[in-house]
Amino acid sequence: MSDDPDKVWPTGLTLKEAEEVHSYLIDGTRVFGAIALLAHVLVAVSTPWLG
Amino acid sequence: MFRTRDFALRKIRQIGPRYMPFADVATDDLPLSRLLRLSLFQVTVGMALVLLVGTLNRVMIVELFVPATLVGVMISLPLLFAPFRALIGYRSDIHKSALGWRRVPYIWKGTMLQFGGFAIMPFALLVLSGYDQAADAPLWIGHASAALAFLLVGAGVHTVQTVGLALATDLVPVEDQPKVVGLMYVMLLVGMIGAALIFGALLTDYTPGKLVQVVQGAAVVTVVLNLLALWKQEPRDRDRARRMEAETHDDFIDAWRLFVRGRTAVGLLVVIGLGTMGFGMADVLLEPYGGQVLELSVAMTTRLTAVFAFGGLIGFAIASRVLLDGADPIDVAWWGTLAGLPAFAAIIASGPLTLPALFVAGTGLAGLGAGLFGHGTLTATMRSAPREQVGLALGAWGAVQATAAGIAVALGGIIRDLVTALPGAADFRPETPYTPVFSLELGLLLAALLAIVVLRRKQARLHQTSRYRNRQDRPDTSAAPIEPTPPVRRQKERETHDDNRVTAL
Repeated sequence: MSDDPDKVWPTGLTLKEAEEVHSYLIDGTRVFGAIALLAHVLVAVSTPWLG
Repeated sequence: MFRTRDFALRKIRQIGPRYMPFADVATDDLPLSRLLRLSLFQVTVGMALVLLVGTLNRVMIVELFVPATLVGVMISLPLLFAPFRALIGYRSDIHKSALGWRRVPYIWKGTMLQFGGFAIMPFALLVLSGYDQAADAPLWIGHASAALAFLLVGAGVHTVQTVGLALATDLVPVEDQPKVVGLMYVMLLVGMIGAALIFGALLTDYTPGKLVQVVQGAAVVTVVLNLLALWKQEPRDRDRARRMEAETHDDFIDAWRLFVRGRTAVGLLVVIGLGTMGFGMADVLLEPYGGQVLELSVAMTTRLTAVFAFGGLIGFAIASRVLLDGADPIDVAWWGTLAGLPAFAAIIASGPLTLPALFVAGTGLAGLGAGLFGHGTLTATMRSAPREQVGLALGAWGAVQATAAGIAVALGGIIRDLVTALPGAADFRPETPYTPVFSLELGLLLAALLAIVVLRRKQARLHQTSRYRNRQDRPDTSAAPIEPTPPVRRQKERETHDDNRVTAL
């Protein structure tokens, strides 16, 4: 299983490849978070729910 | 105990790569189902276009009482990004990735932008229109957030379409490209028509809550369809990844110089710009023309769009057929432009003659011509794209096409409104504001025909000189020539743009 130290199981990707796939996920999450924050601010402007 | 662990690991290893978003091998044969799946990104592009230009345009003016000029500015904001398509395509050409990917990262980022824009858009529009407490908020919040939403969607649409088409060009063998172009156009139409019908039905009785549901629903649909479209399409390629790491690249200006050198790229772009403007200018004027001049009912004028789209479908079908049989894409574009001349002549004549049938026939023929023209020019672009510059080539196509279409629609509206605002306009015949626009379209189509003639001349000249000159410095040009296809090419030679040939750029 761990004969090639550079590969990550179970996908058989190299470390660099795995990191790249991960980076897309992280970027997506960041954008999603920023957008959600902005959407909440806009909703708060029109219908303030914090009092 | 040990055996179960072994079994589990073996199972995981088997399913592992199945849930990774890349194809493990680059296959020669691309089944139709995979192509259909890839073309789903065009559905989301069509949906976004309809939502911006059609649905939200109406909702903002009719239901939210936003001033029409502000609506016009907001809707034209995405157009600002159109010229950057060439840059986006170029960036995807030189992208460095450990997976050997060039297109997927950009489609993913574009999808996120489009999603983000749609996610905040309904709230931004509600704030813009001063809904509820937003009336007390400073005005700039509404303006800035709505502008941001439209810009995000625009950037996303342009990125997704440019890089998606580049990916399709990468994957498909040269002789199958007409099929793909046809499919892409049809899916764009499907997305537009489907979205128009669905959004229209959902928003018949408008409430702010429904607006939020519909637009955010569109955001979710965008992500789902685009993920489905790009899943396992672009192969993982360790050799290419290694090469990418070592490569250095020209900057955009040098890449562009290389792209236009010794080829007819600019001529083709001029043809695309003129023809797109010629066919696109009447887009939003056909319906009011039918209503005001020929006194067709609203239900009838709505069907006009269907007639135009149906003409386009026939055009795509014919173009795919003849191109697969080995016709030259520039010829197809020529015949399409030629078909546009009688079409707009018929539309102009139908007003004074009060012949609605002639008007409908002209509209259908214009759709057919636009279909042939669009298909021919996009296929020509794909064929002429040098292997390592597919993204740049399709970016340039998209930049010219989207900019020309946007300018044409705006210009058509402006001309009509200017004529209506002339002193004494009340005494004009009802068709007077429209005739100049349709005549201008005729002129633009004639100019496009002329540009095609010039392009042909230049091609012939290049073809001649290339027989004598050693073209070793441009290995890519001989691989995918824009010159009239020699019959040899029809033989079984499944070359794709993606076959990992290193070209010394």
